[in-house]
Amino acid sequence: MEKHNYPALGEALYTQTLPNGLRVLVVAKPDFHETYALFTTNYGAIDTSFVPLGETELVQQPAGIAHFLEHKMFEKADHDAFDLFGETGANANAYTSTTRTAYLFSASRAVDQNLNTLLDFVQDPYFTDKTVNKEKGIIGQEIQMYQDDPGWRLYLGLLGSLYPDHPASVDVTGTIDSIATITPEMLYQAHARFYHPSNMTLTVVGPVDPEHVIALVAANQAAKAFPAPQPIVRGVDWDLDKTSVIAHRELALPVVRPKVMVGIKGQTKIVDDEAGLKQQIATRLLLEALFGDSSPLYQKWYDAGLVDDSFDYGFEAQRTFNFATLGGDADDPTALIDALQQVIARGVDQPELTVERFERLKHAALGKYAMSLNSMSSIANGISSQSFGQVNLFDYQRLLQAVEFDDVLQAARQLFDPDAVASLVIYPSEEA
Amino acid sequence: MRIQLAQGVGLTVIPTTQFKTTRIAVHFLAPLQKADVAARTLLTSVLETASRKYPTQSELSAYLEGLFGASFGIGVGKEGRMHRVTASMNLLSDQLAQADLLAQGMAFLKQVLLHPLMVNGRFDEAIFTREQHNLKQYLESLEEDRQTQASLGLQALYFQDDPSQATPSFGTPAGLAKVTAKHLVAVYQQMLAQDRIEIVVLGNVDETAVQQLAGDFDFAPRRVDVEALDVDVPMHEVLTDQVIAPVIQAKLNLGYHVDTDYFGEKAYATIVANELFGGSALSKLFTNVREKASLAYYASSSFDQARHLVTVQTGIDAEKRDEVLQLITEQLQQIQQGDFTDAQLQTMKDGLIANRETAYDAPRFLARIGLLESLWPTQPHTLETFIQGVQAVSREQVMQAAQGFELQAIYTLENEVS
Repeated sequence: MEKHNYPALGEALYTQTLPNGLRVLVVAKPDFHETYALFTTNYGAIDTSFVPLGETELVQQPAGIAHFLEHKMFEKADHDAFDLFGETGANANAYTSTTRTAYLFSASRAVDQNLNTLLDFVQDPYFTDKTVNKEKGIIGQEIQMYQDDPGWRLYLGLLGSLYPDHPASVDVTGTIDSIATITPEMLYQAHARFYHPSNMTLTVVGPVDPEHVIALVAANQAAKAFPAPQPIVRGVDWDLDKTSVIAHRELALPVVRPKVMVGIKGQTKIVDDEAGLKQQIATRLLLEALFGDSSPLYQKWYDAGLVDDSFDYGFEAQRTFNFATLGGDADDPTALIDALQQVIARGVDQPELTVERFERLKHAALGKYAMSLNSMSSIANGISSQSFGQVNLFDYQRLLQAVEFDDVLQAARQLFDPDAVASLVIYPSEEA
Repeated sequence: MRIQLAQGVGLTVIPTTQFKTTRIAVHFLAPLQKADVAARTLLTSVLETASRKYPTQSELSAYLEGLFGASFGIGVGKEGRMHRVTASMNLLSDQLAQADLLAQGMAFLKQVLLHPLMVNGRFDEAIFTREQHNLKQYLESLEEDRQTQASLGLQALYFQDDPSQATPSFGTPAGLAKVTAKHLVAVYQQMLAQDRIEIVVLGNVDETAVQQLAGDFDFAPRRVDVEALDVDVPMHEVLTDQVIAPVIQAKLNLGYHVDTDYFGEKAYATIVANELFGGSALSKLFTNVREKASLAYYASSSFDQARHLVTVQTGIDAEKRDEVLQLITEQLQQIQQGDFTDAQLQTMKDGLIANRETAYDAPRFLARIGLLESLWPTQPHTLETFIQGVQAVSREQVMQAAQGFELQAIYTLENEVS
């Protein structure tokens, strides 16, 4: 067991990689009631193409299979794993993103029992034609519900414009048609490949004894047999190509107000190491300097009615792709898109980007970061989301302190390319 | 423990070393009957945007950035018969920041609440106009979230004879349109002079020091009538409302009047009965309507204690509406008839207790308990009281509580009349 100390934060992270490849990460928080655990696989919606375990050729699976598999993991021959958590008073859940699938529980009691349940149900697949077909109805409902969410349609539509040739743009849930083709055999094939312990991490945060947790997990894993770890061959590759970007699209939906989202496709590889995390921090500080609450530019736009409180921005760096988003509700979508494009076209030459503002935003970011370490779920999700890389949540403070003004300028140079920009507008349809 | 700073002005300090943050909340409470909720909501936007010392949003935000990125906001809500305006801040603890952020945060709130940007006794004209416009847009776009639309629709239907409860805590576009600049000033002055005020501070703080800082607000004494907070509308026939909207997934929401008290045995029995009905992920609605019958993507219930109300919310295929309604009714009947095992009952209790214990890890929840202790001073709000209250509930009490659920309102949101 390794212990990493972060005295400035008053935190410590314990890690251990077990013989079967499973990496365990534990943070002890004795003052709290809640224990939050996440069992995560480095497998998400983009991983529809891969070489199955023991084979040599790539297979292509239907869109939405990772999410479908996540739903189906809970159901067993004679019980639902969900109930096993619930019977102890714990809450269980799971989610699938473009690059990860995570199973989690939150418990204030019976933590050992719930840890074993979590490990056991995720490592014991059970799929039949009957249960798989029934799930198609449930997920079909979920897909329909998202269709009614204009914010989601906007986001997904924009990804479609940024990544027309990459699975980043495919809805995590898949489509009614794509999930209709899913079979138990496909689920077993995906599970065998991506749920191997060497492609998974377990994160536990709460009033626990790290040594005890690691011993428990080690005993649980030692009782199970897994094939030897093999590197995963994935069909999905980096998409950093601006030539595929669809510059502008419009949709009509039953909304009250027009909605705008502008995306900038990242053209540099950002991975989970120190340089990558620093670049992400610098990029977020850049966006905040230009578009955040204290920006004179944002103030001007707000006063002019170009934007309102719904305006937001973000930067996402995932395995194989990264991009920025900007937008919100707008009475005049064209004017907002023009204004955003003008800022992007200025590249590194931004009047809002001063050393003074940079220093103040960095100071604020340090405070916000420390404040975010108040909840078990945010610590656990932060640790888990970087558990496949070289850095962890607690390195953030040191890396943030190390970011300099020049790093932000560099981020602007790398991100702000007018040719890598896509805009999407949702206009109210006539029936609304 | 509540400290009275002046008549009608209270302070609750909750010292704890559990968190990396300090939380400040200043609550203004007015009887809903007299409160112009749309004006009070607009007031929160105007106060949040500019003050004499921080005349623009960017200056105000820059100041907060200088306080280690403190968060600040003013929101509204209901506490039974009261309307609440709450200004709150989350600050990095003084110990971690190695600075007196609590004092600076309190001084900031004083500036924002007591010294807004005014010209000749009016709020800045441009800010007033723009915030009114933005709030109107926001209120009108709420129905873009169909779950929100359905839940507000059910509330309006259930409380159709009680306008102050039927109206959302943040008002309606129609109410907002009536607010003038002059009226807003009157509402603001009334809030400062007449509202009951409760300040709650939670964190690694010293009670005496906080009391001194809170005293700097210098709120004048005010007469506060202590009256019942809970809302219990008379029973009526079942009301229905069917709203047509271009949705793919239909919504079916139900409202039940429940026979309960606020903190007594009946309340705990209702909490457990609701958990078994649709409050828990192992509840009857979740397992039988969503999972077994595949009739709904989501199906749950919630218990609004202060309003004697249990609501059910579901997302369904429109053509399955009657089938779902029938199945929901059957689930409730099962609880009324005692069709659940002792093990299931204990599972519900364990879940409620675990959720409550987990909630005690959140500064926001703990600070809210501080407010509730001030509003309901005769009732203990400790974790232990809750656990004992839940554990003491018998299966007969759960059945009895469920027998007190009376369906009063059925709200449907769907694509076309079926």
